[in-house]
Amino acid sequence: MVDWRLFEPLFEFARKRSLWIVSFCTGCGGIEMPPLMTSRYDLERFGMMANPAPRMADLFLITGYVTPKTLKRIIITYELQPDPKYVMAHGSCPLNGGVYWDSYNAIKHLDKYIPVDVVIAGCMPRPEAVMDGINKIMEMIENGTADSWKRYKENYEWYKKNQDELFGEGWREREARRWIPWLMDKKEE
Amino acid sequence: MINELMIIIFTPLITGVIAWLLDIKGLREGISILGAAVPLAYLIQAHQTLTSQPSIQYSIVISGFKFEFLLYHLSWIFAMIAGVVGFAAVLGMASTTKDSYEWLFALMSLTGVYGIFLADDLISFFIFWEIMTFGSFMMVLKYNRKASLKYFLLSVLGAYSMLLAIGILYAKVGALDFTTIQQTLYQDAMRGVLGTNTLLSRNDMLLIFGLFLIAFGVKAGMFPLHVWAPDAYSETNQSYTAMFSGVLSKAGVYGMLVIYILLGTRLMYQFGRIGAAPKFGYVIAFLGGITIIVGGLLAALQEDIRKLFAYSSISQVGYILVGIGVGSALSIEAAIYHAISHALFKGLFFLIVATIVLRTGKTEFKDMGGLAEKMPITFAMTFVAILSLAGIPPLVGFASKWLLFEAVIHENMPILGGMIFFGSAIGFVYLIRFTYAVWFGQRPTDLDDTKDTPIPLAIAMGILALLNVVFGIAPGLVATELNKIFGKEIIKGTIWELNIGFGRYNGLLITIWLVTGIVIAGIIYFLGAKVRRVPVTDTYQGGNPVTMEYNLTIRRNFFLPLKETLAFWLRISFDRLYQDIGRWVEDLAETLRNYIYNGNVQAYAWYLAIILLILALWGV
Amino acid sequence: MITSMIGIALKAFLILLYATFVGFMFMGIIRIVTARIHRRVGPPIYQPILDTIKLLSKKSNITHGLIYDFGVLYALGATILALMFIPLGSISILRAYGDLILITFLLEIPMLGIMFAAMSSGNPWAGLGSQRALLTLLAVQVPLGFAIVALAEFYDTFSTYQIVMAQQTAGWSITYLPLLLAAVAYDIVLQAMFGKEPFDIMIAPGEISLGPMVEFGGKHMGILQIQHAIALFAETLFFSNIFLGGAVVTAFASSILNTLASLGILLIKQLAVLLIAIFIGAIFPRFTIDQAARFYWKWPTIIAAAGAILAAL
Repeated sequence: MVDWRLFEPLFEFARKRSLWIVSFCTGCGGIEMPPLMTSRYDLERFGMMANPAPRMADLFLITGYVTPKTLKRIIITYELQPDPKYVMAHGSCPLNGGVYWDSYNAIKHLDKYIPVDVVIAGCMPRPEAVMDGINKIMEMIENGTADSWKRYKENYEWYKKNQDELFGEGWREREARRWIPWLMDKKEE
Repeated sequence: MINELMIIIFTPLITGVIAWLLDIKGLREGISILGAAVPLAYLIQAHQTLTSQPSIQYSIVISGFKFEFLLYHLSWIFAMIAGVVGFAAVLGMASTTKDSYEWLFALMSLTGVYGIFLADDLISFFIFWEIMTFGSFMMVLKYNRKASLKYFLLSVLGAYSMLLAIGILYAKVGALDFTTIQQTLYQDAMRGVLGTNTLLSRNDMLLIFGLFLIAFGVKAGMFPLHVWAPDAYSETNQSYTAMFSGVLSKAGVYGMLVIYILLGTRLMYQFGRIGAAPKFGYVIAFLGGITIIVGGLLAALQEDIRKLFAYSSISQVGYILVGIGVGSALSIEAAIYHAISHALFKGLFFLIVATIVLRTGKTEFKDMGGLAEKMPITFAMTFVAILSLAGIPPLVGFASKWLLFEAVIHENMPILGGMIFFGSAIGFVYLIRFTYAVWFGQRPTDLDDTKDTPIPLAIAMGILALLNVVFGIAPGLVATELNKIFGKEIIKGTIWELNIGFGRYNGLLITIWLVTGIVIAGIIYFLGAKVRRVPVTDTYQGGNPVTMEYNLTIRRNFFLPLKETLAFWLRISFDRLYQDIGRWVEDLAETLRNYIYNGNVQAYAWYLAIILLILALWGV
Repeated sequence: MITSMIGIALKAFLILLYATFVGFMFMGIIRIVTARIHRRVGPPIYQPILDTIKLLSKKSNITHGLIYDFGVLYALGATILALMFIPLGSISILRAYGDLILITFLLEIPMLGIMFAAMSSGNPWAGLGSQRALLTLLAVQVPLGFAIVALAEFYDTFSTYQIVMAQQTAGWSITYLPLLLAAVAYDIVLQAMFGKEPFDIMIAPGEISLGPMVEFGGKHMGILQIQHAIALFAETLFFSNIFLGGAVVTAFASSILNTLASLGILLIKQLAVLLIAIFIGAIFPRFTIDQAARFYWKWPTIIAAAGAILAAL
């Protein structure tokens, strides 16, 4: 095949300037997205675009606290994205639990389950802070330090172990099957 | 006694009888295939003869009646359609037929079709018409009584109409052979132009035309006489339907052409023109246009594969009727071209349906899905057929449809033009529904060990698919044959190119550039990173995990919004109207039975007495 | 023979390059103009090129089988095919065969490829989106058909190039009433062909996750971006050619200057077509599919049919 290393700077530039976001608002931080996308702050200046399909998205914004139920969806959606992909955690909750530090039902350390590139502290982080985070991730993409997708591949066993510890093994199947009786009941009605 | 025309006509019937009598598995299939192959071989040979002489004639006198047969360019083309598609269908039947009963009647209807195409007088035309109807009726009867009765009733209506029309013609003209009728009516038209009294009055012509229109409209599946087709096409051996829809409906189309040949000049004189088209033709064309739309829309809303293609078949015959109705030389050539391509792709489609039904034992969309991986050969054939029916260049479906579009629009027929445009889009719509529900998406687990097509069916599909491609890339092959009908170059151009003056189509160039385009796309594709195969459960479902137990395919009511949009129109159904009429007749009969034919001998004696009294008073 | 073939190949390559570049610029313009209407700054004009490079340079791609790959390739291939038939000033390669009906069909069949690929993924959103796209296609087909019929009957030819040449002497098509009606109907149809509001229910992002596009990622989506760019160029070019007079400049002595001038004029006309679509798209919400069908089967159909009947008289 063709050796593409010569073009790698161009690719990195394109990746940096064309971050498509997965529209997956997990928590209260989602409300910070509208001002970011609309005329006040206008993220589209940097080529960023909210994109509902994870298959063509690059940047996964975890906007706020994460519960186990959401985390399952986050992991599945994250794994659907093609490499290279980046994760930005948004607010204190995914970082260390934030105000839910003693909640029985919130994930305190998101980076135990999926790798995170940039974390923005604050509760809530203002749009300016988010934009600072985005600037940071762009810098990291350019100098090659935004390598969470590589880490996820390399340390997949470790992440898998943590996920399984939380949800129990074979959780995907179990989660899927859980809804089948409910769907069946609906059908009969 | 033994003439090649007789061999062409009667070989299928004879072999069918032999196969029926022998009834040895393996042998009967071989004999029947032979029975379909021999006429085809003779027809191919006849092409050579037809280049040196204009036609092959044959006549036979049986107990005072003279039966005449004629093979010339027009009937040769139609007979070739019957030959090729009939042969493919018989090959397909070798895989799907269970007993010899079907062989007899399938081949009998093939004989009927050959007879119709080669007949040169109205009596043999009518007799073979009935043989064809009977054979196909028996094929449907074996599978579904109700569908066959509906088919039978409408066919009888058509047959009586035709008989009446033939009777009127005979009474006025005094001859039954095509040549005399044609000449007499032509002279009659001339007489009319000169202002002297004509042999046939205006009402006679209207009646004859109307009766013929009903007779041929029934067989072609023309709106509003199409109601038998969806049931009859779907409720029989699907390999046979390839012939039923591909060839037998062409008998109706051929009948419309016979109207042109026999009555054309006279009708044109009588009723004049509307725009550039003859007025009587415009009736055919307009009904054809409605047939396209009604057939297509209903096809999109079906839940059964066989029904979908039955309606689609109705819709496609509508195109042919439009072309015939417009009545210019070009549009008739276009219509015959479309008759050829319709036979090719619809024959292919029904063989595909036969394969699916044979291998899965299911016919409804809700039980299907994801078969493309399990039946790759059949899917490849389907791909060709879909592209051809949807009118994607460079396949035959596009070439013929293109010709038809240009012919119709060139004659300044805006409304018909709009109708056929709509028809081509609706073709896309129902084909994608078929593709999605049967070949793509999630596969129900009980279809996991579906096998691919059996070899005879594969060969049959291969023949038709190959012709679909060849006649699309080299449309000139067909065009030269079509030009021979009129004896002049109406469609110019080379073997690769159709040139009709105001438009050009080159199949080869399109193929080359399409391949170039795909190669360019392929280069971009292969420069990218490698791909990884993922299963159907690994798709984005809003982040939810799914297993195969989930239903991931829209299996029922795929075009629900269309149904909602058309809700008002869908309430009008000619099928229901006919059923209501049928029920009304039944009620009437019931009333009659209760009060008049009550089975009481005394009452009958009274009736007799009263009638005698009336007659006596009348003075008889 | 060989030199002429090389010449054709070179020409085709240049046309393709030009079309792709201008198509990407059009995509950028769509985004910028929409942003300005929203009072935003918007991305740079070359943003779609960056997006495409990024998508093509993805390091992992998925496939759902052979048809999934082939459908995407077919879409791009068919778009390139369509482009070659549309007269582009005086340099188009296959313009002698640039038949109205052929081009109308060729502009639709890339969608068939995308549908095939999307459906073979087995994603329910893709199925739903394809259904909507097909019904939109069905809805627009009636006014589109009448518009094409009106053109063909007015000029009594199906050759796009002859229509362009006729307009050079007789004035633009839209200066005649029947064709003005046809052009209005066709422009409403273009709105759906571009996939812009109010007829973009097929890709409704928030509702069915981009519909047919939901499973495309990486290089598949990259190829589809290129396809979209070329299709955008081809569709606007077709409209400018048949309704807005096209461009055949013969004022200069040098043929290169003539070609450049024609391209420039065409570009302005294409931009005008595009801007109308953007303006309409930016201010309208979307129709549901049955509303869209009812709309198309009412006003645009009446307008286009009136045009066709007037042209036939």
